[in-house]
Amino acid sequence: MEHTNDSKGFGLLIDYRYCSGCHSCEVACQVEHGYQPGVFGITLMQLGPEEIKPGKWQYDFLPVPNDRCDACVERSAAGKLPSCAQHCQAGCISYGRIEELSSMMAHRKMVLFRL
Amino acid sequence: MLEEETSCQVGGSPAAEDKPLTADAPQGRLWTWQEGDCTVIRSNARTGPGCHDNCGVLLYVKDGKLKKIEGDPENPYNQGRLCLRCLAAKEMIEHPSRLLYPLKRSRDKRGQDCFERTSWEEAFSIITREFTRIIDAYGAQAINVTQGTGRDINGYGPLLARLIGTPNYGMGFLSGQGCYAPRLMMMFFKVGDAFVCDYSQFSPERYDDPRWQPPGVIMVWGNNPVVANSDGTLGHWVVECMKRGSEIICIDPKLTWLAGRAKHWLQVRPGTDAALALAFCNVIINEQLYDADFVSRWTYGFEQFAESVQGYTPDRVATICDVGEQSIIEAARAIARAKGACLQWGVAVDHTSEGFYTGMTMFDLLALTGNFEKPGTMVAARPCFGVEETWLASQKAIDALEVPANPGLEKRLSGPYPALAALGMPSNDEMLKALETGKADLTVDEAGQPVSGSYPVKAVWLQTNNTLACMGAQPQRLLPALQGTDLNVVVDLFMTPTAMAVADIVLPAACFSERPGLTGHHPYYLGAIAQATNPPGECKSDQRIIFEFARHFWTAREGEAVARLASPWETEEEFYDWILRDAPFTYAELKERTWAYPEFCYNKHEKGLLRPDGKPGFNTQTGRYEFHCLALEGFGLAPLSGYSEPPESPVSSPELAEKYPLVLTTGARRWGYFHSEHRQSPTLRQFAPWPEVMIHPQTAKEHGIGEGDWVLLENDFGSCRMRAHLSVRIRRDTVSADHGWWFPERDPGDGTLFGVLEVNVNQLLPMRPGRSGYCNSYKSQLCRISKAADTASAGPSDSED
Repeated sequence: MEHTNDSKGFGLLIDYRYCSGCHSCEVACQVEHGYQPGVFGITLMQLGPEEIKPGKWQYDFLPVPNDRCDACVERSAAGKLPSCAQHCQAGCISYGRIEELSSMMAHRKMVLFRL
Repeated sequence: MLEEETSCQVGGSPAAEDKPLTADAPQGRLWTWQEGDCTVIRSNARTGPGCHDNCGVLLYVKDGKLKKIEGDPENPYNQGRLCLRCLAAKEMIEHPSRLLYPLKRSRDKRGQDCFERTSWEEAFSIITREFTRIIDAYGAQAINVTQGTGRDINGYGPLLARLIGTPNYGMGFLSGQGCYAPRLMMMFFKVGDAFVCDYSQFSPERYDDPRWQPPGVIMVWGNNPVVANSDGTLGHWVVECMKRGSEIICIDPKLTWLAGRAKHWLQVRPGTDAALALAFCNVIINEQLYDADFVSRWTYGFEQFAESVQGYTPDRVATICDVGEQSIIEAARAIARAKGACLQWGVAVDHTSEGFYTGMTMFDLLALTGNFEKPGTMVAARPCFGVEETWLASQKAIDALEVPANPGLEKRLSGPYPALAALGMPSNDEMLKALETGKADLTVDEAGQPVSGSYPVKAVWLQTNNTLACMGAQPQRLLPALQGTDLNVVVDLFMTPTAMAVADIVLPAACFSERPGLTGHHPYYLGAIAQATNPPGECKSDQRIIFEFARHFWTAREGEAVARLASPWETEEEFYDWILRDAPFTYAELKERTWAYPEFCYNKHEKGLLRPDGKPGFNTQTGRYEFHCLALEGFGLAPLSGYSEPPESPVSSPELAEKYPLVLTTGARRWGYFHSEHRQSPTLRQFAPWPEVMIHPQTAKEHGIGEGDWVLLENDFGSCRMRAHLSVRIRRDTVSADHGWWFPERDPGDGTLFGVLEVNVNQLLPMRPGRSGYCNSYKSQLCRISKAADTASAGPSDSED
């Protein structure tokens, strides 16, 4: 883990092939920042459920950092992952430098957020 | 890996070794350190509140107060990840409604909000006085000791029952002991061990262990593992396997997230899974796709089995299950051709009346395809380092207790069910009848032999068990039955509907951050729960309550010298040192290393590691996997797998189905809740604020029901209300109702028992097991729905999907 006091040049890569919609990112963020229940710096979005064609379903979840996200700069300074990335049960949130993350975008259903 | 495979023993080496054989290297691993102004305690979050897992956690403590809980990135089990229940656990641990002191209430005030604080001494004295009177008048079997699930009770509750002297210990009042017990016993009968899917969880190197490979196919069957995390399986291990190439075959009446990602999703009619498994077997046998080598070397009764599945053609079963014939054939071929297939099953297997046979069919499918003891298949799981109590009832531990004999140990209430008697638990369905009629009719003894005689059941101890809200079917019968006893004791974290309705004594239990303890529930590693803070008020751990009560009880009955033999422990650390008596660690040593992995190896049946005689094979009478199960035959039950329609279904009871046209399945798991727990936590409650019944939009339209409407669910057993959630995820002929609901925010004195009987769907479910005495109808019933006239309790809906 790279220690940094600044989120510049860093991002979150979400591989939402694997996001199960478990809400861990939201609650991890809420707890980390002392927000009230229902207040998060990352918001879980949902696609579907919809049967796109017979037997083929779109039923996806996608966590989206919102304007409350502070990139967990305090944690980064201590060499820790942002709380959402660490606690994501599906391990589908990667934190790192934009260039490294963009080189990992080898599939559909991957989204890169600049922090 | 520190050792060659040949040094492996199932569950790890005994204490006789000079150096414990562990697969992990604990050097440099700290159990506590300072970080800023907080002390960090490294621990395993093994309950309470309830959970079936052992996630590694870092507990941040400042000035004796818990500040936050994070996942432990170094712990191989969860690798730093946590679910929302642990992330928000402080809301439960520090909730203002936590029970803090022992409470007492006069028996004639049951149901009324008039508990008085008492001391542990007085609470124990009242229980001892009543137990003594009951034992002297009727025998100790008149006391029914019950557990729920979630808190670490499986191995410790049975010690309490033995210390009291009663043979009646079970999961009260779960019909048919229908939660994993049927599947465990099925596995012991047919293949001699408990087998679980190999997600690499036995290795501290996890997915990087070079011996491991991901399952080619994971059969996710009657289970939503990413939400449920059942029976010691961390559901997202499935997702890690998917990243590494595993394909999913999902069998579920509902589109789960995994179903949506499955190679094959078979949306079966609830309760028909056994027919589907047999159709898979039919295809695999008739297309010669089975593992002939495994079948010939390691199984018994294949010829008969092959003959018996001939009637389960894909064509016929497609009609039974209401799925496509071609999808059955394709899924069967995919299972047979997979490089390693495993079964991720759920409690749905136990929740259909003949579910005991459903489990058998699934295992027959695994045996047919040779999916045992290879990487990424089903592997035998045994207690780590010989420590049984952290998982299940331990006869070894019970035998080690020096308890004076008590009359009644042979009088377990097994009813007419010898296969259930082998579990060592009574029949809850018979137990309820006993409470209602005032006498328990013995039919078979522990060995399954017929016996006559009867006795009354006079007292019930409920620990980790909110039976009126959760496990018990027909709570409308349970409520008066439990209110009719002489004494009820409840041990819990909160004032539950069950405690409010029936308890005379309530004892407050501690949470995981407040006590020492051990990991458990499924044995991959052995770890310590490290105490980070003092318990609030006068709370004590479940284990401490058990051994301190036993000391008090025997001191009163036989004097201190006898009591010190029966319950010799002064501290929890001493108690856990006794639990660890055969392990190569003391509690303090285990706490310092936090986790210890026994050596693990594959192909144990080939290496002679499964049988007590050291010979190759499985630990059954024949030494083989038994398609033809001799144990079942001995119990007078059909020895081969088969399918039976649920007693109530559109096929078996068409007249009833005219009145109640919808199939009712219950108990789908929700993010944030463990059964009836966690409704107090605002963070967890936000994701599922109301009890919901999922209805297909088309079905809802036909009934004039809209999203969020309060709906009445009814059948001949009873009724309840829930809010409608419309979703295309569910079959049109089926509704899926939440379980475990009550409203802890209600005024405890309003006479509604926190609203439990308004919203408990179990009122529509019978206390009635299958022919074996196991299993129930919690996921295959019939009902009708209508828009509820009374919407007085309606409120905002924040439905997710």
